[in-house]
Amino acid sequence: MAYRPSFRRTHEEGEAEPNLTPIMNLMVVLIPLLLTSAEYIKIGVIELNLPPAAGPAQVEQQRPQEKTRTLDLTVSITDKGFYISSAIAVLRPGDGKGPSVPLMADGSYDFEKLSRMLLDVKRKAEGKFPDIEAITIQAEPGVHYQTLVSTMDAARSVRVDGQLFVLFPQVALSAGII
Amino acid sequence: MAFIPSRIKKHDTNPGEAKLNLNSMMDMFTIILLFLLKTYSTEGQLISPSRYLELPTSTIQQHPEVGLDLVVSKNLILVNDEPVADMEQVRENDPKTIANGIITPLFEKLRYYATQAKKIETEYGVKFSGKITIQGDKDLNYADLVKVMRTCGASDYPNMRLVVYRKE
Repeated sequence: MAYRPSFRRTHEEGEAEPNLTPIMNLMVVLIPLLLTSAEYIKIGVIELNLPPAAGPAQVEQQRPQEKTRTLDLTVSITDKGFYISSAIAVLRPGDGKGPSVPLMADGSYDFEKLSRMLLDVKRKAEGKFPDIEAITIQAEPGVHYQTLVSTMDAARSVRVDGQLFVLFPQVALSAGII
Repeated sequence: MAFIPSRIKKHDTNPGEAKLNLNSMMDMFTIILLFLLKTYSTEGQLISPSRYLELPTSTIQQHPEVGLDLVVSKNLILVNDEPVADMEQVRENDPKTIANGIITPLFEKLRYYATQAKKIETEYGVKFSGKITIQGDKDLNYADLVKVMRTCGASDYPNMRLVVYRKE
């Protein structure tokens, strides 16, 4: 009579399974928690700080500072396009008439060209003026808020050949042409 | 003779304890968990966009901060979800609402909040920052925006934050 085959040779050793229950508990709690607090719409803010309402005394104190030469870069948004003016020059298109950056053929604003022209201004003015980060934006009364925000974007930074150039991040709004 | 198979075991149809294979489920959960952890922002949502308007989009990457909540929708101006002024009157420069380019009802409301905040500052030491978050509709006219901002500046809220949708 033959021997009974070896139990160890013919039976595989049962795999030792780790107890996954605590991990599952953790997942079941964490996933709904994170899902509810997830941010789907990305919201940002544009900071605009006005100088606090100044009394006459403070205005007196500020006056001597005005002697330093400033760039005073201003972009005006009109229904014909953007006008750019600064202490260096008022930028004009080739024929010397009309806005610095006219509207595109389809009637929308040409933000890319505005960015490129502001980059030129930035390069020319670099190191010569103390207010190299500041820009004043003014607009016609009927200009839409979205246009204003896009203009601020165009004036803040520009990406040329994958490289990011900071232009004029300190935006001030002017009541302007009203 | 070879080993005789057990006759009892031959008819044993009960396969023993049924085991659930959790491997793929664990994989899935791990991936979801990692994704959510990555997108999780510790700040949470400080500003919930108002449903009365559509915010403009911007490329700015700055994150929101806490401030007094001012909503300028198509029809109404709201402070902390409380209607304050009618946009129609603001647009038409109604003398009842607008005085010297300042929106009077909004000015009074903001003054009220500013005095409250300053009282809290003196009593409990919570600093009054003069921060206000402005949620404006994207079709809002510049002239009306300037009126709102001038009112904010005049009523001790000079640090304005324009709320926008971030586009990547």
